[in-house]
Amino acid sequence: MSLEKKIRNFLQGPRKGETFELKNGLVSQYKHERKDAIQRVIQAMTVGKDVSALFPDVLKNIATYDIEQKKLVYLYLMNYAKTHPELCILAVNTFVQDTEDPNPLIRALAIRTMGCIRVSKMVDYMEIPLSRTLSDDNPYVRKTAALCVAKLFDLNPEMCIEYGFLENLKKLINDSNPMVVANALSALYEIRDMKEHIPGFEDLDVFTTNETVIKNLLLCLNECTEWGRITILTTLNDYQTDNQEELIHIIERIVPQLQHVNPSVVLSSIKAIIHHLDALRNQEMKESILRKLSAPLVSLVSNSIPEAQYVGLKNIRIILEKYPTVLSKELRVFFIKYSDPLYLKLEKLEIMIRLSNDLNVKLLLGELKEYAMEFEPSLVSKAIKCIGSVAIKLQSCTVKSVNLLCTLIDQRGGDLIINESLGVLINILRRYPGKNDLITLIVPVISNHINGIEDNNDTLSGYIWCLGEYPKYFQNTETLENLTLFVDDFLNYDSTIQLNLLNTIVKINLTNNNTYSNLLQKVLELATQGCENADVRDKAYIYWRLLSSDDTASQQKIISHKLPPINTTISSFNPNVLESLIDELSTVSSVYHKPASTFIDKNAYTRPSGASIPGSSKVKGSSNGGKGGIEDLTTMAKQEIINNAKNENLLDFDDDETDDTSSFNANGGSNGGRTSVLDDLNDLFAAIPQQQQEQQKQQPLNIPKGSNSDILSLFDQQPASSSNKPANKQSGNVNNDLLDLF
Amino acid sequence: MGQVFSFTNIFGKLWGINKDIRILILGLDGAGKTTILYRLQMGEVVTTKPTIGFNVETLKYKNLTLNIWDLGGQTSIRPYWRCYYSNTAAVIFVVDSTDKDRIAIASKELHMMLKEEELLDSALLVFANKQDQPGAMTAAEVSQALNLTDLKDRSWSIVASSAIKGEGLTEGLDWLMDVIKDEQL
Ligand SMILES: Nc1nc2c(ncn2[C@@H]2O[C@H](COP(=O)(O)OP(=O)(O)OP(=O)(O)O)[C@@H](O)[C@H]2O)c(=O)[nH]1
Ligand SMILES: [Mg+2]
Repeated sequence: MSLEKKIRNFLQGPRKGETFELKNGLVSQYKHERKDAIQRVIQAMTVGKDVSALFPDVLKNIATYDIEQKKLVYLYLMNYAKTHPELCILAVNTFVQDTEDPNPLIRALAIRTMGCIRVSKMVDYMEIPLSRTLSDDNPYVRKTAALCVAKLFDLNPEMCIEYGFLENLKKLINDSNPMVVANALSALYEIRDMKEHIPGFEDLDVFTTNETVIKNLLLCLNECTEWGRITILTTLNDYQTDNQEELIHIIERIVPQLQHVNPSVVLSSIKAIIHHLDALRNQEMKESILRKLSAPLVSLVSNSIPEAQYVGLKNIRIILEKYPTVLSKELRVFFIKYSDPLYLKLEKLEIMIRLSNDLNVKLLLGELKEYAMEFEPSLVSKAIKCIGSVAIKLQSCTVKSVNLLCTLIDQRGGDLIINESLGVLINILRRYPGKNDLITLIVPVISNHINGIEDNNDTLSGYIWCLGEYPKYFQNTETLENLTLFVDDFLNYDSTIQLNLLNTIVKINLTNNNTYSNLLQKVLELATQGCENADVRDKAYIYWRLLSSDDTASQQKIISHKLPPINTTISSFNPNVLESLIDELSTVSSVYHKPASTFIDKNAYTRPSGASIPGSSKVKGSSNGGKGGIEDLTTMAKQEIINNAKNENLLDFDDDETDDTSSFNANGGSNGGRTSVLDDLNDLFAAIPQQQQEQQKQQPLNIPKGSNSDILSLFDQQPASSSNKPANKQSGNVNNDLLDLF
Repeated sequence: MGQVFSFTNIFGKLWGINKDIRILILGLDGAGKTTILYRLQMGEVVTTKPTIGFNVETLKYKNLTLNIWDLGGQTSIRPYWRCYYSNTAAVIFVVDSTDKDRIAIASKELHMMLKEEELLDSALLVFANKQDQPGAMTAAEVSQALNLTDLKDRSWSIVASSAIKGEGLTEGLDWLMDVIKDEQL
């Protein structure tokens, strides 16, 4: 369609209805009617109506001395510029004039809007306004222009360098105004992330920190808004020094930030301090700094927003793994509140068991008992698992915990409690193998209640394992009866049960002079002939072969060999994972507990061929809504739904990974398996980005740029609105007023 | 408060007090449109850059509120002129009288524009601008080159002007006001 025709179509439009009315209002000969119409258009826009058809008429109202009206028109432009890239040219003259306006607010508004209109035609006219505003007298204008450079870089990196904008931006790092410094920093960060993915720009020198830069940043730290502080703290986190004096200076400057009301600032400060702590050689000082982290960590959990608390808890869990004692006196803070949402309760439990020690365990067990008597099933089962974890972690409280579990079984009962408790009790046996008093305490409980259990594979496997491991403690009739029952139904069981059954029958037959040979014969036959699981079948063959040999010594050695005791059922990170998680504290990684590289695809930001800037010369395919366009849109929409679903899975609060270790497989030996379980998980997640790669290529704009910024939005809306607070007081009120609109 | 305002607005409407009169300034790039607009509005010569988009200024002239739109004249912007045609009382068409090479193009653009339905009732004032320059065509020459005499059913006039010296502008505008007043009342 020719341009001529397009414009004509536009102007024709419908002759009645709301759009027609608004259109008339917009070109009315009466000032107040025009303003009123603009307000109505914006109103329609904000409730999601498509008022893009009014573009040329709204645009006519851009040149006005009425600042309110100007703001509204700018707002409209930012929203719809992409729908009418070619018409945007009509706004250029006004933009350029506005960047020279005596009022700094208008200058800033103009350059900001110009930057936000991601239309390549506009870029051609940005040279003069942008260089002018970058060196504006007013810091508010400079700080706005700084961000604009990053936006320009995204649209046209060549121009951004050629015209020296990048250089000017770098200079702003030393600006006299802290807000300008912070914004320049974050723009540079954005550019640094972007250039990685633009062919030919990978080697561009964007930004390097050195002692002087850091010194200046430290000076600014206290004067900035929340966002500014976070940006500066992030930079400090990227900086490495071994100079002890400088190190101490950096840490000392960060420490006051730990008191900030914004949890994200607090967390970023903690992160930066931890980062520099490694290089600190003075142990005593290190200890004292670590002690200072305790109160701010607690403050994260005192936030009134449960989501923010959750994020805090997730981060605390990582920090605890590096510094297990930072919160050792703060157990009470993590006690569950009645009103906490379930996900918070479960995460608090994770923290509590990690904080347990000989001094507080009594208190903790009391709490756990309360939780085990709650109504929410997942809380109950987690609480019982936690009792087990504590019993396994702290020898001093094992008997106490076992008794507690027995009490729960006796007093509360119910399938859930019995199921979970038995599983936990068997785990406790594995922690302290061969301890007579424990075995006599636990085995009868198991025997008494095992018959009620039907469909819990872990508990049943554990029970079967016990029969083979401690045959003396069970009555022979029980053993025989139950094993026979299991074998009768052998093929219907899960492979973990099958494997344990094989193992136990072989073992028990060997130690009981072949009294179980019939059963043995039957189970070996079933496993080798009827079983479709290769592991089970092969294991049966191996046993068979072993038993047919005369080498009783190796029979004994292999079959009766004891497994090493389990040390803990509290999950921990692989050291490499922990290291990256510590580096990525206060980002989405710290909530997922997975390093960013496992869920953010490196290629996600490569410039797509389709979904780029309309009208951009770089775009190869046509972006006008032809048939192909619609199809693209449909697939994009579908993929977004798929991705959303995937994200939801990632956020699923059922903590599979923690449960893994308590799941019982006597033959697998979960001791050394702990780290590999996590590795597997990571592999699993590493696989997802590969699948998503293709989808992401098509819609990279939906994917968070670096997980950094995203977490901020989780914390409270407050920083979002205050981020724009002007740095200088004189224009303060007007600024706010202006920015409230956005 | 709000009610009082709308009250006066109603009366304003009845008596045409607040009513703005829309005037377009069109012409090829470099003809002097922006210079004329600000000469009229501020009474001085401003330094201009090619207009990418438009300027609009409000001007009180003889008790009338004029809303004067100065559109960019570059080839790439001319297609968008038509976005501004509706409700236009008058068009001021500016010609660079020294630019003999492009006077034919100017003529073509002028006649194409006047064919538009929305401009059927608009008055036309042509400024044969840059008269201060040596070798400038006279108003009569420009009129002939533009075939102004072909125009039917339209109030039109051509005035020799120099935006730099400020000559001819008020004269042209006075004529335009008389025509518009007749039509508005
Ligand atoms: N000598 C002389 N120069 C003039 C006159 N009017 C305008 N100019 C000059 O002509 C050049 C272009 O003037 P503008 O007013 O920017 O032209 P325009 O019609 O607005 O151009 P576009 O915005 O590109 O459409 C400027 O250098 C003016 O100083 C005039 O009457 N005499
Ligand atoms: Mg102009």
